[in-house]
Amino acid sequence: MNQPILTLNDLAFTYRDAGKPALDQITYSHRRGEFTVIVGETGAGKSTLCRCLNGLIPSFIKGRLDGDFQVAGSRQSGHPHVYELARVIGLVFQDFEAQLFSTNVELETAFALENFAVDRDEMRTRVEQALNRVGLAGFEQRDPSSLSGGEKQRLAIASVLAGRPALVVMDEPTTDLDPVGKRDIFKLAQVLRNEIEGIILVEHETEHILSADRILLMHEGRIIGEGPPGEMLSDPLRIERHGVRPLQTTVLLSELGLETDALTIREAASRVRSAGWRVKASAQANLNGDRKPESGGSLVQIEDLVFQYGDAQPAVDGVSLDIKAGEFVALVGQNGCGKTTLAKHLNGLHLPTEGEVRVLGKSTADWTLPELGRRVGYVFQNPDHQIFANTVQEEVAFGARNYGLPEETVREKVGAALAVTGLAGRELADPFNLTRGERQQLAVASVLATDPEILVLDEPTTGLDYHGQVAILNLIRRLNESGRTVVMITHSMWVVAEYADRCVIMSGGHVVRDGDVRSCFSDPKLLESLYLEAPEAVRLGYEFGLVVRSVKEIVDSLEHPDG
Amino acid sequence: MVLYIPTDSLLHRLHPSTKIVGLVMLLILTVAFQSPWYQLIILSGVLLLARSAGAFRNLRRILPLMITVLVFSVLSWSLFKRVGEPFWSFGLLTLSTESIRFGFAMGFRLEAMLVSGMIFVSCTKVEEFAYGLRAIGLPFAVSFALSLAFRLVPLFFTRIGTVVQAQQARGLDLKSGNVLQRARKYVPLLVPIFVYAIRDTDLLSMALESKGFGMQGKRTEFLSFPFVWRDYAILGFLLVLNLAGWLMPVP
Repeated sequence: MNQPILTLNDLAFTYRDAGKPALDQITYSHRRGEFTVIVGETGAGKSTLCRCLNGLIPSFIKGRLDGDFQVAGSRQSGHPHVYELARVIGLVFQDFEAQLFSTNVELETAFALENFAVDRDEMRTRVEQALNRVGLAGFEQRDPSSLSGGEKQRLAIASVLAGRPALVVMDEPTTDLDPVGKRDIFKLAQVLRNEIEGIILVEHETEHILSADRILLMHEGRIIGEGPPGEMLSDPLRIERHGVRPLQTTVLLSELGLETDALTIREAASRVRSAGWRVKASAQANLNGDRKPESGGSLVQIEDLVFQYGDAQPAVDGVSLDIKAGEFVALVGQNGCGKTTLAKHLNGLHLPTEGEVRVLGKSTADWTLPELGRRVGYVFQNPDHQIFANTVQEEVAFGARNYGLPEETVREKVGAALAVTGLAGRELADPFNLTRGERQQLAVASVLATDPEILVLDEPTTGLDYHGQVAILNLIRRLNESGRTVVMITHSMWVVAEYADRCVIMSGGHVVRDGDVRSCFSDPKLLESLYLEAPEAVRLGYEFGLVVRSVKEIVDSLEHPDG
Repeated sequence: MVLYIPTDSLLHRLHPSTKIVGLVMLLILTVAFQSPWYQLIILSGVLLLARSAGAFRNLRRILPLMITVLVFSVLSWSLFKRVGEPFWSFGLLTLSTESIRFGFAMGFRLEAMLVSGMIFVSCTKVEEFAYGLRAIGLPFAVSFALSLAFRLVPLFFTRIGTVVQAQQARGLDLKSGNVLQRARKYVPLLVPIFVYAIRDTDLLSMALESKGFGMQGKRTEFLSFPFVWRDYAILGFLLVLNLAGWLMPVP
């Protein structure tokens, strides 16, 4: 009989000092070999559940835990220690920087085994196997800090696998990864599901979770839906309501009024065609003609820029770019390809080792850092790198005050910045009580208060659920439409397709492609060779012989003979 | 450690405990002698060791510090130390043969200590250091915490760098203003840095716990270093030198 490996029975947890339970009435049973994915909006209790499973709750994170759970047949009652559960259930965290601590790959992998008092010869075998499994054989002596993001996350997985847990739980392991890194992790999960007794994964990218056996939808601490992907993902509105970007195939089908249970691109396209929909004769020409009017004069000129940290390989190597007023530029490429280094030249945080960067007609070497910072607003990846004030208002006023603007002007600008970012009315709130999405908006607001002509944003959507992402992206779009030039670093290709005008692709410190977004997506082979992937909606468009940027464009390009 | 130089030398191959105990014995040895000549011999000895361990690369990095230490100690001890018959004086400053000898002895001693420390960090990995401490008898938690500190310091500096850049990008100017104004400007840096540190520590602790850290009972080690004849030889040699140094009548 296929006995469940994990059974949760009416599990509930309330954090100490919290009024509301973070988990409530969780009943779940995990069969051997099953691959389960948990989805849900920020604050739904996904991470809390993961931490319950391996015992961090309640032995490390305090609070009140009720209900019981059985792991591999043995009932866990009372307060099992993390290290007892850790042998059975391994946990991989989202932040791959903070979970690695050794000086080389093999010691990192061996750490858990040392604690479990595994014999030395056995340990060597297991370390070797675990590293082989995740594709890191040959990296044994490397310093983890020298690995790419994807490699670091795979190392974290190896260090858990080496302990041979029955079940591996991964809490948003791909959030901070580039498209290749993401793909590698999902491929790995595919292989692992057959080798260990089960995988539980928290993940937002619906397209990647189609191969799961079961999807759990969480909301306010409860599991409110459970079933195979075909059932759980086929209602785009329901999924979107819960903070998850719906499958674009289902969005298309629902827009056309068809049954939405064809989830893959191929199935969805054939359903659309067999329902009689045809591509309009002039569709692609119409799409190509749908371009933003020519932008204004040149704002930023980058000429033969080379930048080197110490004696290392140049991080940016011979880049020339010209950015015009009013443009919305997306800067994409693998982790470590030089995007952030390039972006930091725009506001003078880096000065060129060779070549020149001119902003508003003046070389960045001739600007003072504060003056340039006022004209080029830079929003760092993590809002928590900069938030320090007691109130939202103070936080936003910080920049404007630094530039010595009169208090009246400061107040006016702060008001305007809060209004445009949707934070009006929250002036006196403590920034640390805001949600991650609101903190990201606050970071944008605090840059806007100095009225910059150019906005540079480093991965503004990381760590946000779909609602949060759409909110910040629409904000950025509004700012761009009101005349600000936007340069945005991102890993999300759908964001590039739907929001940017121009796409600059970097690889190894060079710009390898620079052009109109649609033209960048017209060449899937090139994207593939750069380890990038066209987003789902774009690939869905390919099925109709179109180069589109969104599902809406597909809908606009189709016609039905019956009208 | 950051200054670790990955080469293969006799010193690199020593048992980690030998490296730690050896370093301590070298430091004690430098304190045994008052004569600048003996100190010079010790200094030459450790320089030879540094050479053999390939540590000159690191010594070059601290060369300005080494020169400053030498010049400063020779000058200040010679001029301020009041021993023997001064043959020159000016106000508080005096010079005597003894004070000059003392100045050189102190200078060479400090140099020998610096070089010894540098050799140690050049040929010892963080994990070896922790292993060595455990082998001497320190509890695992203590040795792990020590080695973790070495690991986290550079990481922490990167984080600080990010926060400083984020605030500079918002016009924070740390260079202008009087002392009080400048001190207040550090608030926007300190708050995010603390938040960061707390969050990182929390995550790290969870990662450690999840891997069985804190488990009761026996633990095994992935690394293993045999304690062999060369370890006995080196420690024996240093012990003899120390005994001779401390028991010999002061020259």
